[in-house]
Amino acid sequence: MMKRGFLTLGLGLMTSALVGLAHAVEEGDPAPDFSIPSIYADQPAIALADMPGKTVYVDFWASWCAPCLTSLPLYNDLYNKYRDQGLEVVAINVDNPIEDGLDFLLDTPLDFLIPSDPEGDMATQFNVIGMPSSYLIGPDGKVKLVHMGFRPTDMEMIEAAIVANLPD
Amino acid sequence: MRLILSFIMLALLAACSQVQPWERGYLAKQEMAWDSDPLERALNDHIFFSKEASSGGNTAAGGGCGCN
Repeated sequence: MMKRGFLTLGLGLMTSALVGLAHAVEEGDPAPDFSIPSIYADQPAIALADMPGKTVYVDFWASWCAPCLTSLPLYNDLYNKYRDQGLEVVAINVDNPIEDGLDFLLDTPLDFLIPSDPEGDMATQFNVIGMPSSYLIGPDGKVKLVHMGFRPTDMEMIEAAIVANLPD
Repeated sequence: MRLILSFIMLALLAACSQVQPWERGYLAKQEMAWDSDPLERALNDHIFFSKEASSGGNTAAGGGCGCN
């Protein structure tokens, strides 16, 4: 009887371990397509398909994630610097309730697109393994850079990667 | 009997789920704390530190050197 119990336990643990092994988005992979509502109720949905030939910087953030909040104003500067050269920044908010994210945005106005993903559907699709996580998608639709965590000194590297992947 | 036991163990395992990185905000909510009353928590910490002659070892990693 014990043997059967252990077998069941083992099988169960294996199953739960396998569930955690879903494929994370890596450099070189085609970017998962997305179409998600904006955090602002009066703005249209945001879809990757609407940005053909552009360099898209996708970032996952939440109001409870301190490094995310440090990064957003810096991304805003970066966006304003390169928007004319074909850069789009899509900062996906995963706050649940959404109001937590909106509260932060009241104090920190941001110019780029901010979709809302309270159920984490997009985060699941990208298989985000830490917060914040960001993905640089080139004009060819492939992921060029995956960046996890954030320190202000990372901006140099991120800017270099964006410049190298701007559309011609 | 065996079958029932196996089934119960399997059912219990199904209840285990990993908190995903983007769901960690739930853990930061006040109702997720051991003591949801900040005043009571501060008092309990004070008593604990006094009795144990230690400081800072009650939550995250590190601390406990009693050096402040």
